[in-house]
Amino acid sequence: MRSRWYTREVGLHKWRRAVSWGMDMSAIVEEIREAYAGVGITLDQPATFGTYYRLLCTGCGRMVGNVGDKLLPGMAAAIVNEQRDMYVSGLLGCPCGHQRERARTGNAGEQA
Amino acid sequence: MNEMDAIKDAEERGRTDLWPFWRKAYAQGDPLPAFSSSGPRAQFSFDEGDPLPEEYKGLLLRMLRHEGERAGNKSFLGLMAMCLDLAETLYPGRETKLLKSEYVAEELKHAIMFHRLAVGLERDFALRDVPYAHYSFHLPRETWADDAYFHFFVDLNGAFHSRDWRESSYLPLRQMAATVERDEVGHSEMGYYFLRQICAEARGKELARRLLAKWYPAALDMFGRSDSPNVPKFIHWGLKTVGNAEIRELYKGYVDRKIEALGFDVPDERKNRRFL
Repeated sequence: MRSRWYTREVGLHKWRRAVSWGMDMSAIVEEIREAYAGVGITLDQPATFGTYYRLLCTGCGRMVGNVGDKLLPGMAAAIVNEQRDMYVSGLLGCPCGHQRERARTGNAGEQA
Repeated sequence: MNEMDAIKDAEERGRTDLWPFWRKAYAQGDPLPAFSSSGPRAQFSFDEGDPLPEEYKGLLLRMLRHEGERAGNKSFLGLMAMCLDLAETLYPGRETKLLKSEYVAEELKHAIMFHRLAVGLERDFALRDVPYAHYSFHLPRETWADDAYFHFFVDLNGAFHSRDWRESSYLPLRQMAATVERDEVGHSEMGYYFLRQICAEARGKELARRLLAKWYPAALDMFGRSDSPNVPKFIHWGLKTVGNAEIRELYKGYVDRKIEALGFDVPDERKNRRFL
């Protein structure tokens, strides 16, 4: 239980904001994870101090890029959707072709 | 030889025909546009160790938090690690990988410079972890072209801010501004050099054309809202000379010319923008 001292010295509003900020970050990470799963890319564990994440090919495990956890809400899905035809054409994605196939079939919700 | 001379010596031994990219950029004259402040210049001037007005110190720390290139900032080191990951995995050859390593070395030099500045300003700040808050530092980078845009646009943003710091009322910042500006122009030129290589073949050009739509709005958004209430305070104290809208416009003029030189249409400046 949070002490009176903590509430007085730190300020409840700041604590609430921090908690809310932390939740926002994990929500953004989930958004990113979900958006990339739909094109056959797995969001790896945080690579560096909890801010940046490797993007791995779900088919072969190769690193295909990275991403940070401070995208704005909705941004990850918008970017992946905008890039979907680039995975299909092979402009983006792993040389093994997994994203090309996943994006072409449009089968959202693939899990790592 | 003092520590900065040793760094300078190490840098000079790393020079090649290409690196550092700033040499060619400045050899043709000042590559950046002139900043003209709309009002009278602030008359304040503070050096390390001077007592600072509370508001001034708060604004200066805020500015340095955004800047981020500080040895004690874990998130900056994380960003550098991510850069190395990308170079190892996505870069096409030895030359480009070596250039990227020179870039990281130069950013680490900045981290030492800003560390000294932080220690002189507030010791507790030196070890504070401040993740980059702006989304442009977090956009997915899935190709060498993404990374090239990151350098072309984001490092150039640093160069424009450093140009403004040449007039800073905080003397330690003013003293290092020209070096940081020059280096950041070089990093942006490195990104542009990569883009020209990428655009040399049709498939790469198509990739770069498509990715421009992701990076251009982020680049313009990096300067913040045009009506930011803090800007007049920064200008009052001499920590900035121009507002967000003015510096964004100068930046836009610079990058638009270079985008056109790649053979691309400049995107609509309002499309997908988050901070107008």
